[in-house]
Amino acid sequence: MVTDQNSQAIVTFEDVHLTYDGVREVLRGTDFTLRPGDFRFLTGPSGAGKTSLLKLIYAAHRPTTGRVEVFGNDLLDMPSEEMPKLRRRIGVVFQEFRLLDHLTAFENVALPMRVLGVNPNSYRDDVIELLSWVGLAHRIDAPPTVLSGGEKQRVALARALVSKPDLILADEPTGNVDPVMGEKIMRLLLELNRLGTAIIVATHDLGLVRGLKQNILRLKDGKVTLHGPIPDETPAREPEGAQ
Amino acid sequence: MSDYEDSLADVKSGNTPIIPESGVSGFSLAIVIGVLAFLAGIALTGFFAVDAAVSGWSGELTGTITVQVRGMTPEEIRIGADAAEEILRSTEGLSNVTRLPQEEAEALLEPWLGMDNLPDDLPLPVLITADVTPELRADLGSLRQTLVEAVPSASLNDHGAWTDQLVAAASRIRGLAFMAFVLVILASSAVIVFAARAGLAAHRNIVEVLHLVGATDSFIAQQIGNRYLMLGLVGGSVGALAAWLATKFLAVVTGDAGGFLPAFSIDAGTAVWLLSIPILLGGLSTIAARVAVLRALRGEDRYVA
Repeated sequence: MVTDQNSQAIVTFEDVHLTYDGVREVLRGTDFTLRPGDFRFLTGPSGAGKTSLLKLIYAAHRPTTGRVEVFGNDLLDMPSEEMPKLRRRIGVVFQEFRLLDHLTAFENVALPMRVLGVNPNSYRDDVIELLSWVGLAHRIDAPPTVLSGGEKQRVALARALVSKPDLILADEPTGNVDPVMGEKIMRLLLELNRLGTAIIVATHDLGLVRGLKQNILRLKDGKVTLHGPIPDETPAREPEGAQ
Repeated sequence: MSDYEDSLADVKSGNTPIIPESGVSGFSLAIVIGVLAFLAGIALTGFFAVDAAVSGWSGELTGTITVQVRGMTPEEIRIGADAAEEILRSTEGLSNVTRLPQEEAEALLEPWLGMDNLPDDLPLPVLITADVTPELRADLGSLRQTLVEAVPSASLNDHGAWTDQLVAAASRIRGLAFMAFVLVILASSAVIVFAARAGLAAHRNIVEVLHLVGATDSFIAQQIGNRYLMLGLVGGSVGALAAWLATKFLAVVTGDAGGFLPAFSIDAGTAVWLLSIPILLGGLSTIAARVAVLRALRGEDRYVA
């Protein structure tokens, strides 16, 4: 999707450092900007800081130093009470799905709407339509325990979309699904991006990235080493690094 | 019809509680709350039983006076008693002046001296009782003075010292019963706080997901608190019902203890208070759980991982 370079950034990282427990530094001066409608593959070896970078965006952590601004909010100064409002503008998809096993697929997808206190009658049709869109119309009343990995991931994707977020973060969304389902999920994400949603997808699968012809944000040792199109000589998979 | 239209018609999913029942409000916790509610009910019933007894004693004993007339001979006693009775009958604030019949006075001695063993010339004291108004009881000095001047062997007893001690002792028991009730209710709250914290830890994954989708701490505390509202209501109802049944059983077993000892019976007021136990426990459980969860979550990012 063509990005308007003059539009206000929805995510800004400036010289961001993140240290766990005061000793393990996972981000070492990370800089990048994401604008409305952008699509980025976040790549890099294991331990490069991809998941940590995503956690900073959805305010699971605050930076140790540097500036992280999400939708105009500086996370270092942002009161904890304001975090829920920020998170409601972000849909997150995890490799391990993070669905609630005691709820059905419908109820899992509807969860963000229940949290917002929306009348069930007003989102019921939207939830069913979303589940149909991800190909799970026949699994609406099924709990996650009886769904396959691919089905769970599509439920998680539908849950991330139901509140119509401005930004989707997907952490290895194809990691636990077969290649065919992985490509299908990626196509769904691209379709969403075409509708205007900014998306960041963390992945090891550079072959998939190359096939979809999207810009990448490559992290190595906690720093952004590449921000742009994927180079031709890139291997099919990121090497495994130290955690 | 498309898949979507089919689904619209067939969807069965509803609003399953976000926090599952197991692990938060387990059966064992319901039993604990029920037992505590039972103990609270018994303490409350005891409080009201003693309260009613104290009111009865105070009302009956402080509303009467007794004049005892002694003497060396029955004739002296009779003359003194006549004079004392006349004074009592003419005193404003006294009513129902009654002299204890000779037969009843002798019956009082029967346990020690036996029947028909009393000599005719035994100088048995005469007891005269009268109902007294609160105004006169507050100042019996002048009546006592008048009596002693007219009948030196007469003594006036208003039961004050004895009643005061009895009422004081009963009041302490009543206070202890109420304290036991309050402590049991507080213990219930403490149990709920511990359970809510344990429930929060047990459902940490759910809490994380809720935070991820934008739930506030208040929303999460409300979800967990709602589980304990039902627990408090149900456990409290069962416990209060058991307390009611136990009290009814006690009332049947003990019967009427002569109107002196506190009777374990349930009047309408006590029943209303028993009914308040589940409401009290439900409300306190909800508040305790919410506060515990809010305090655990406050300012902590660790629940978003």
